[in-house]
Amino acid sequence: MDYYLQQLVIGLSLGMVYALVAIGFTLIFGVLNVVNFAHGEIYTIGAFAGLLIFVTFAPPLVVVLLIVLAVGALTGVGLERFAFKPFRRFSDEATLKSRAMREATLMSSLALSIVAREGIELFFGSQFQALPLSHMLNSPIKIGPVTIVDGDLIIFGTSFLMLAGLQFVLKYTSVGLSIRAVSNNPLGARYVGINTDRTIAWTFAVGSGMGAVAGLLVGLYYGAIFPAMGFTPGIKAFVAMVMGGLSSIPGAVICALIIGISEALSSIFVSSVWQDLVAYAFLIITLIFFPRGIFGGARERV
Amino acid sequence: MNASDTTPRRWLWTGLILTALFVLVPLLLSLAGRSYFYQIANTIMIFALLAASMHLVTGVAGLLQLGHAAFYGIGGYGAALLATHFKLSFVFTIPLAGLMAALIAFLVAVPTMRLVSIYFAVATLGIGQMLHVITLNWVPVTKGPNGILLFGGMKLFDIDFSKPVPAYYLVAVIVAACVYVIHRLSHSYYGNALRALREDDQCADAMGINTPRLKLESFTVSGFFAGVAGALWAHTAGYISPADFNFNVSILILSMVVLGGLGSLPGAILGAIILIGLPEVLREFKAGDFRNIIIGIVLFGVILFQPRGLIGEVSALDFIRNQLGLGRKTKTDGKQMRVGWL
Repeated sequence: MDYYLQQLVIGLSLGMVYALVAIGFTLIFGVLNVVNFAHGEIYTIGAFAGLLIFVTFAPPLVVVLLIVLAVGALTGVGLERFAFKPFRRFSDEATLKSRAMREATLMSSLALSIVAREGIELFFGSQFQALPLSHMLNSPIKIGPVTIVDGDLIIFGTSFLMLAGLQFVLKYTSVGLSIRAVSNNPLGARYVGINTDRTIAWTFAVGSGMGAVAGLLVGLYYGAIFPAMGFTPGIKAFVAMVMGGLSSIPGAVICALIIGISEALSSIFVSSVWQDLVAYAFLIITLIFFPRGIFGGARERV
Repeated sequence: MNASDTTPRRWLWTGLILTALFVLVPLLLSLAGRSYFYQIANTIMIFALLAASMHLVTGVAGLLQLGHAAFYGIGGYGAALLATHFKLSFVFTIPLAGLMAALIAFLVAVPTMRLVSIYFAVATLGIGQMLHVITLNWVPVTKGPNGILLFGGMKLFDIDFSKPVPAYYLVAVIVAACVYVIHRLSHSYYGNALRALREDDQCADAMGINTPRLKLESFTVSGFFAGVAGALWAHTAGYISPADFNFNVSILILSMVVLGGLGSLPGAILGAIILIGLPEVLREFKAGDFRNIIIGIVLFGVILFQPRGLIGEVSALDFIRNQLGLGRKTKTDGKQMRVGWL
C-alpha cells in the first residue's frame, strides 16, 4: 500500500511537469492553430540555462526559477519572431488554404528545434550533464508511511503556483484578455483593435516560460540533463493536449496528471521500460473513442 | 494556361534519368573507388524511396504522417528476422517485408482513417512511437537496443549481391521500379482523386470519391514501399537497430518531402539527395560537427524563402505532364490533349 502511495506522489509530480509543458502547447495552439514543434527544446533550454546559472552564480533556487522563467519567455518570443511571424505575411485565402503553406509553418519550428538541439549538443556535448549535487532536490522527507523527496514538494508547489498565476493572468489582466480573445477568434480580435502580433508574442512568452521552468525542475529532480531531454516530455505533453481537447487548459492539466499518474502506477505491474507505452495507448484510445478529447467542447470535425 | 501543347519528350527524359542512375553514377562511384561511397549512394536511394512513399500519403493524399519510420522499421526488422530465422533469400524477404508493413499499415489505417488533419498526424505519431518502444524492448525477438546482424551473402545466379557494385544495381533497380509505380499512381486520375481529397475531403466525398477507401489505399501502399525500403536497408547495411527507425527518421523523411515541395515527386527525391548527401559532403570538408546544424539551417532557409518547396507542386506537375507526357491522351485525329486538371 505504501508503495502505491509513493508511486502516486511520483506520478503527481511527473504529471505536474507534463502539465506545465502541455500548457505552453495549448496556449500556442489556441492562438495560432499550429503545433509548436520547438516546445520540447524550450524545456531543454530551461534546464541548461539553470545549469549555467547554478555553476556561475549559485544563487538561491527561487532566483534561478525566476531567471529561467525570463530566459524561457525571451526564447519563446525569439522563436515566435523567427519561426512563426514570417509566415503571417501571407494572408490571402489561397495561401491560407494551401496545404504546403500550412505544413511550412509546422516545419519551420521543427527546423529551429533541430538547430537549437544541435547547438546545445555542440556546446555541451551529447552526454549527460550532472547538475551540482548540492542543488539537487532529493533529500528524503517522511510523511507518515510514505517517503518522498523535497523535489516532489517543490515541483508540486511551483507548478501549482504557476498554474494559479496563469489563471490570474488569463482572467484578470489585459494581456490575458487579449490572449483569450485571439484564441477565440483571431479575425474578430483584430476588428476590435487588439494587436494580434503582440498578443501572439505574449502567448509564446507565457507558454515558453512555463516550459523552461518545467525543464529546470526535472533537471534538478533527476540531477542529470542532456540535449535531447525535451523530446519525451514534449510528446507526452502533446498527448495531454490532444486528450484535453486541444484548446482547453484545465483539460490539458487534468490529462497530464492522468498520464503522469498512470505511468507511475504502471511501473508496479510491468517493467518500467514499457511505461512509455501507457501515454501512447491513452492517445490512441482517446482519438478513436473520444476524438474531440475528453474535455473538448464542440469543435469542428476531427 | 495555354492549351497548345509541346510534344512530350518522354524518351529523352526517361533515357536521361535511367542513364544517370545506371551508368553515370556507378561510373563516378567506381572512379572514386571507395566502397563507402556506394553505401552513401544506397542510402540516398533508399531514402528517395521513403520520401517518395511519404510523398504519396502526405504530399498527394494530404495525410500528415508522423510515424513513417515505423513502417520502414517493420520492413527492416521483418526482412532481418526472415533472413536470420528462416534463412530466406532476399528475393523473398524484400517483397514479404513490404507486405508485412502494408498489412500493419492497413490495420493502423482502419480505425484512424476517419480522423482529419492534426488528429490523424497525432495518431500516426502515437502508433509510430508504440512500435518503436516495442522494437526497443521486445528483446527475445528484436534483440532490443543491440540490433540484429545479418550474416551470409546475398547470392543469386552466382552473383554476390553483398559486393558494392551488384548491391548498388540491386537497390537501384528496386527503387527505380517502386518510384515508377508511385509516379504512375500520383500522376494519373487516381492521383487527381487523392489531390481532390487533400484539398477538401468533404467536397471530394460529395463528388462521388470514396474518400475513406482512397485514404486507406494510399496509406497501405505507402506502408508497402516504406517496408521495401526497410528491407533494402537491412540487407545493404547488414545491421539494424531501433535507432535506425526512431522518430527523428520520420521527421527526416518529412523534411525531405517538405524541402522538395509537398505534392511534388521530383521534389521529394531531390530532398532525399540533399538531406542525405549534404551531411556527407560536409563530412568530407571536415565540418562533421556542424552538419546537423547546417541541415536545420538549410531546412529553415528553404521554408522561409521558398515555402512551397524547391520544386513546387505546380512546376513539378507541369514538368511531368509536358516532358514525361502523363495525363494526356491521343484524340482520334492524332492530336494530343491534356486530361485532368492543370
